[in-house]
Amino acid sequence: MSADDLTPPEAARWAARSGLPLAPERHAGVAATAEHIHSVVSVLRELDFGDTPPSAAYRAGGEQHHGTV
Amino acid sequence: MEPYELTVAGAAEAVRARRLSPVELVESVLDRIEQVQPRLGAYVSVTADRARRSARRAAEEIAAGGATGPLHGIPAGLKDLIDVAGTATSASSRVRVDHRARADSTVAARLSAAGAVFVGKTHTHEFAYGLTTPQTANAWDRSRVAGGSSGGSAVAVAARAATFALGTDTGGSIRVPASLNGVVGLKPTYGLVPRHGVTSLSWSLDHVGPITRTVEDAALVLASLVGHDPRDPASVAPPPGDYRPGPGTDLTGLRVGVPGNYYFDHVHPDVEAAVRGAIARLEALGARLVDVEIPMTRYIRATQWGLMVPEASAYHERTLRAVPDLYSADVRVLLEAGELVTAGDYLRAQRARTLVRRAWLDMMDMDAVDVIAAPTVPMTAVDAGQTAVTWGDGTVESVSDAYVRLSAPANVTGVPSLTVPVGLDPQGLPIGMQLMGRPFGEAAVLRAGHAYERTGTARDLVPAA
Repeated sequence: MSADDLTPPEAARWAARSGLPLAPERHAGVAATAEHIHSVVSVLRELDFGDTPPSAAYRAGGEQHHGTV
Repeated sequence: MEPYELTVAGAAEAVRARRLSPVELVESVLDRIEQVQPRLGAYVSVTADRARRSARRAAEEIAAGGATGPLHGIPAGLKDLIDVAGTATSASSRVRVDHRARADSTVAARLSAAGAVFVGKTHTHEFAYGLTTPQTANAWDRSRVAGGSSGGSAVAVAARAATFALGTDTGGSIRVPASLNGVVGLKPTYGLVPRHGVTSLSWSLDHVGPITRTVEDAALVLASLVGHDPRDPASVAPPPGDYRPGPGTDLTGLRVGVPGNYYFDHVHPDVEAAVRGAIARLEALGARLVDVEIPMTRYIRATQWGLMVPEASAYHERTLRAVPDLYSADVRVLLEAGELVTAGDYLRAQRARTLVRRAWLDMMDMDAVDVIAAPTVPMTAVDAGQTAVTWGDGTVESVSDAYVRLSAPANVTGVPSLTVPVGLDPQGLPIGMQLMGRPFGEAAVLRAGHAYERTGTARDLVPAA
């Protein structure tokens, strides 16, 4: 565990701020899993997104008949 | 041959020609379920009485006016994330113990309208959040994983305990268990099959599709599922055309991309050999093989996790606070930790999806390929207790990460992906080849898969279990 890793008390505090109180016995497991998720998704910070929009763009008019993926 | 052994196409022809009644067919499949369920555990619930009533109704309709289509009177299993009015959608979870669906999902309603007979609901890894489906055993070897999350559907079809089934696929959950059990699985283009009434894992990545014994059957089921539904915001109208592949096996004119990177890295040699042999078969049938380089592979896992993890936690927000002890340990900790993903990370994943999708389509355009052929999963079914795999270079990977690695790109990009059986490894376990197409290019992947299947030695593998 490096100095930057999420500690169990930090995980508990973050979860509480998200509205999810965690019992003390949950803190270590959630911290380790959250740290793993963070290590996977933070790779995306390497990308220069420029003006790229998110893929979940809103389509005015509701029904859409000829979308593209 | 017993009626339960028939494919969808075979059963449909027998029913159409009035050589087989839906009542006999459904009774045969229900008997088969009774026979294999204690060993394999594919089903959460079996709705025998309801199925018998539906079969009698189908028989009356066919006697009065003939079969309305190829699914009329055909027995089907539904992954237990798919709502059927008046029955529980358990999601294979204790969280849903008192659940009752008030209405049919779009796909259940469409299959019912086509005359399909629901024989039961099949097991999923809890809420589709996993790759093994621990309640269900592999149809080929009970000590091995079924794969997931649509493990019950794939095992039911492989064991002839459903003539076809539906699954859902967020990172590979149709294709992984289909591959590990030697059956066909199709993840359609994102938006082609409506998800209304299907329990979500991740709105950005979820798909619904068929699990069948043959490619032709997958095409027959797909045709009954497509069509715009405004209740699913991702839903689109299908392009005109027929999914059912023709009888011929000539692939002249089809350009098949063969990845030089990613898809053959950290793949078991038996899997690689079988898939390369199957690709050579496509070439022998007239397809032109084209080397392709898969773009942005470093960001596929990060994009998939960045979308799926916070979306799953959002879906489960209320129940995770109300009844956390009712979740399995592996799912609970993921949902809890998912609450800590920031909005910044989530938006990066949404924007990365845009980039990966564009780069993938540019690659297919630049090389003018219709289909990309690759392994579906890097190894066959592992022992039920195994949690990690060690590759030849010493790299250790979790079993879940390995099973999702080659299937997730089609979820991130939204392109259609079909898995077809291409043989068995020396332990007698099935190997799958994945055929990925252009968006809404289902017809091309089905054509290639069907031609392979018609000329292969691995057609319609039957497990001994």
